[in-house]
Amino acid sequence: MSELKTISFVLDGEITEIDFNKSGYSPTTTLLQYLRSLPDHKGVKEGCGEGDCGACTVVMGELRQDKIEYRAYDSCLIFLPSVHGKQVITAENLGNSGNMHPVQQAMYDFDGSQCGFCTPGFVMSIFALYKQEYEVDKEEINDALTGNLCRCTGYKPILDAAEFACKNKEDDHFCECEAGIVKMLKSVRRDKTISIITDRQKYYIPFSKAEALRLRKDFPQAVLLTGSTDVALRVTKKHELIPEIIDLSQVNEYNYTKTENNIISFGSNFSMEDVRRQSKETLLALYEMLGVFGSRQIRNRASLGGNIGSASPIGDSLPVLMAYDAEVELENHKEKRTVKLRDFITGYRTTICAADELISGVNISLPGKDRIVKSYKISKRKDLDISTVSACFSLKLNDGKVEDIAIFYGGMAAWTKRASKTEAALKGKEWSRVNVEVAMKQLEEDYKPIADARSGEKARNIMAANLLLKFWSESRRSA
Amino acid sequence: MESINHESGKLHVSGEAIYIDDIQVSDRLLHGYLYTSPYAHAKIKSFDLEAAKAVKGVHAILSYKDIPGHNQMGPVFHDEPVMVEGLVQCIGQTIFVIAAENQEAADEAKKLIKIDFEILEPIITLEDAIAKNSLLQPERKIETGDIEDGFKKSSHIIEGEFATGGQEHWYLETQICLCIPGEGKEMKVYSSTQHPSETQSIVAEVLGTGKHEIEVECRRMGGAFGGKETSGNHVAAWTSLLAVKTGRPVKMRLFRDEDQKITGKRHPYHFKYKAGFDANGKIIAADIQHFANGGYATDLSMAILERGMLHAENAYYISNMRIVAKAMKTNLPSNVAFRGFGAPQGIVCIEHIIDRIAGILHKDPVEIKTMNFYGIESNNVAPYGAKIENNRLHVIFNRLMQSSDYISRRVAIDDFNKENEFFKKGIALTPVKFGISFTTAFLNQAGALINIYSDGTILVNHGGTEMGQGLYTKIRKIAAAEFGVSLKKIKVNATNTSKVPNTSATAASSGTDLNGMAVKDGIDKLKKRLAYFAAEQIISDYQKPAKPENIIFENDLVFDSEFPDLKYNFDELISKAYVSQVSLSATGFYKTPDIHFDRAAGKGKPFHYYAFGMAVTEVLLDVLTGRVKILRTDILHDVGESIIPNIDKGQVEGAFVQGLGWVTGEDMKYDKNGNLLNHSPDTYKIPSIQDIPQDFRVELLQGYPNPGTIRRSKAVGEPPFVLALSAWFAIKYAVSAVVNHSKEPKLALPATNENILLAIAEMK
Repeated sequence: MSELKTISFVLDGEITEIDFNKSGYSPTTTLLQYLRSLPDHKGVKEGCGEGDCGACTVVMGELRQDKIEYRAYDSCLIFLPSVHGKQVITAENLGNSGNMHPVQQAMYDFDGSQCGFCTPGFVMSIFALYKQEYEVDKEEINDALTGNLCRCTGYKPILDAAEFACKNKEDDHFCECEAGIVKMLKSVRRDKTISIITDRQKYYIPFSKAEALRLRKDFPQAVLLTGSTDVALRVTKKHELIPEIIDLSQVNEYNYTKTENNIISFGSNFSMEDVRRQSKETLLALYEMLGVFGSRQIRNRASLGGNIGSASPIGDSLPVLMAYDAEVELENHKEKRTVKLRDFITGYRTTICAADELISGVNISLPGKDRIVKSYKISKRKDLDISTVSACFSLKLNDGKVEDIAIFYGGMAAWTKRASKTEAALKGKEWSRVNVEVAMKQLEEDYKPIADARSGEKARNIMAANLLLKFWSESRRSA
Repeated sequence: MESINHESGKLHVSGEAIYIDDIQVSDRLLHGYLYTSPYAHAKIKSFDLEAAKAVKGVHAILSYKDIPGHNQMGPVFHDEPVMVEGLVQCIGQTIFVIAAENQEAADEAKKLIKIDFEILEPIITLEDAIAKNSLLQPERKIETGDIEDGFKKSSHIIEGEFATGGQEHWYLETQICLCIPGEGKEMKVYSSTQHPSETQSIVAEVLGTGKHEIEVECRRMGGAFGGKETSGNHVAAWTSLLAVKTGRPVKMRLFRDEDQKITGKRHPYHFKYKAGFDANGKIIAADIQHFANGGYATDLSMAILERGMLHAENAYYISNMRIVAKAMKTNLPSNVAFRGFGAPQGIVCIEHIIDRIAGILHKDPVEIKTMNFYGIESNNVAPYGAKIENNRLHVIFNRLMQSSDYISRRVAIDDFNKENEFFKKGIALTPVKFGISFTTAFLNQAGALINIYSDGTILVNHGGTEMGQGLYTKIRKIAAAEFGVSLKKIKVNATNTSKVPNTSATAASSGTDLNGMAVKDGIDKLKKRLAYFAAEQIISDYQKPAKPENIIFENDLVFDSEFPDLKYNFDELISKAYVSQVSLSATGFYKTPDIHFDRAAGKGKPFHYYAFGMAVTEVLLDVLTGRVKILRTDILHDVGESIIPNIDKGQVEGAFVQGLGWVTGEDMKYDKNGNLLNHSPDTYKIPSIQDIPQDFRVELLQGYPNPGTIRRSKAVGEPPFVLALSAWFAIKYAVSAVVNHSKEPKLALPATNENILLAIAEMK
């Protein structure tokens, strides 16, 4: 039985196969680097190499049943092997200067470009919107473009162009070619694990849970990735050589959501954007937090499992999931176990996840109607910024008194930490401004924040205290 | 005038536009990398490159010893070495340059470089530099009236200090240069530079050769904003050295973090001021000191300082005024040009003073502003002695107050603030009067080369560079209009030092003013020649007494106004002219008339004219989080008669939003050793799409053509940047509303949510 060693994807309407032992590309070559190495995809620009500017935005088409779903991604944060089985689309594939795609035409007509360097990235983000079946309103446009920076225009003409293009959608040449692309994508579907072994690196792409768990057992030192929005930075920013990687992004068994007995479950591969859309009706605090989580491109790629597993002190989903008292499902090749997220993280980027375990999913019990759950994030910029301070509060009142309250802050300690002393100061007390203001002082007992590039410690303390007051103020409105 | 889209727009949206990193080069291409200092202030006692040079894939590692010419890349003052020679003066200063086949090889080599440093005490903060009187150059002064007498006549006197932060340019395309050695000493330099002629000079000086060996070309930059006025020269100098040493093409593209760490930024300022005024708020005397953080080398700091001083009074007539300015030396990367070039800093201080006067007198700041505006017939001489002519302040003010509905909105805001504890609103109006011209008078010159080819198509070369501002688009429009031909006949060529020599930087908003006039001059010469030829043709073809002075160029046709029925198609005439041995190529030249400035006296007429504008901005502040939403901005801006209105509007909007970044979210933090903490877009936050005004109304002032400029237009690049101060003052108003305006908030600039929350906490 020969191992699969090559990856295949669709580019320029054709299947491209890459053998990493012959091509000169390393398995941690980013999609951006790959595309820029080609003569005809120089429109994909590098502005930052860390997913913060969107100049490298591409759209990838993925099979969903017999249709193609189009989403925008930062190509600088994707390792080339992750592209296996997908269609890669760049601005050059939309149209050319003599025959522009409607999105390009709108950007041109509305003066959406000045220096032009960010433009192909904006075009691709708008194109991804253009290809959605749902109605695209202004809010949707704004959200979809938070991952693209422009330093010249002040954005207004770009917004106008996006609105015009999305309001005047028509069938484009991607519609015409879709059936053919579907056939190609089906032909490169794999079940057997792809093992890319080069002189210096090993990169595994399993397609089933069983294979993923086997690889995890056999290569416990391997770096795990799904969206790679965090791991890729080790290559693009720190110029690290990662020797072993298990890429879980193609394990479909981890890509699910279901609701049973008032419990919503998300598979660990479920993208943050999918989590956001799913939580809109049921888990509002999560929905709101994810609305200011990264950018559309990042959320399309980042996974819930990755965000939890990396246990970052400023992982924005964590305070919310902890306030909801979410459970994490872990499994190895033999068995499953379920732990409280509150117990899962043990310190700065450390968890109780064993060397042979993977996070398979997250379960969240829907809060009762008598619970008020709210999340907040303070960051220098509203969008695509890491929290200076984030918080989530879950409150149960009984006759105006605090029966139960759970308070979790991000950005205030080396990991997402519970404000136990503050909670204690509030429990059993009347939910009044006076009592809240007393509790606000307790926060300084719970946390000793640091000063960093985002904020000084004094301001962090003010922010933390203010968020509790804000929650009090807003809880009265929603109660 | 008709709207024309950006001449490269179709290439931008399709990804076809070629930036330097997209140029296909032979497989002999090497990549250039920098080895920079980890210390802000240190002596290099010795270094050893031998092990590093042996790394496979590394082709050259150069130190200052390997420079064939001058180890110098300062544009005016020669205090900025290409590579460190003994003394390190900032973190990120280049010590060695490396040519390698790839980044991995260069990284490995860097690890093997050995340097023996003796670490010295650095000066990092502006406060420290002021305390130690660490100056880059002697101080400058501008003075008018009798300042002491002015204070004596003032019923109120305020004193204070104020500061503004730096700003990273954050052009999307990082600094880049590609050098391709030719035969002999020839070098073709593709540089992302606003100043190809200076890039050429510095490369020639560093390589120790004549400028005629060096050809610098720039088709377009992926943004610049002043950040490529001198910084691009540095990258070109480093790259050219590696190309000469290896004899191979070398490309150097800075990584984003590297670019943010090592290149200069907008000058942070510290102000000390004393202002005297009467009971109405009329300013009688102002004594202002500017301290700019210039970083370790002078670069353009003295010119920036000068523009700051020349804008210290902004739109206001102040009869007794003294401005003393110092460029301070610190151990930071040398700060450089950035859109506005010191003017936004100069202006913010007087605006701050006016805002305080209004607070003290319990008046709307707008009242204080109008009372002090430059007059039309009187009160119209600036502190440096120039008369403020064609003053548009009053017309703009009256129109904007009405269109923005300022007065009733301010009342509504005060009502809102009374009713809401955790949300406050603010509103403010900011005017700008911006002087147009390089304040170094001789720089106000430009050249052009116009080639008509025998098929009637026209190639326009000029000395200006395209950084997205639409200069090429405007030049194309100007050339078509002057020639009377359709746009499609005109192509604007990549800017190249071998086509147009000895040019000035595309800076000071003057690109179109200068280059447009030079292009017109070249076209006038050609039209004169062609008019003679056309008249001769009419005489010989039709036996009519045509005269050269009556020849009209219009709608792709050429004719005598006396005999309008006898027309030549432009192409046809050109074809005939070629066969008749008429020269179809001409150079153009322009120098701005009647400007001069005596630096020692602080007097003169440094500007050809002024551009005016005003903005009203309303904000909503979340008192608990410090989050600010810009609810609405109304701008009325004066561009004379716009050459291309949609391009000018794009400049106004873009400048305003860039200014918003400077006054709100763009914060620079350094540690005590001089490390920039916000050195990537991860922590340095320029405005994103949801940070712009929710309701953004930009209008260009109609009906006021500008005398004495190309097609009666005005420069537009920088002035509207200043208008973003309206957002900062609106935020300040909202912050002071937290204590019902009972106290003056100590709000820092930029007003980040951190700084807002600290200002609120400080008042309580």
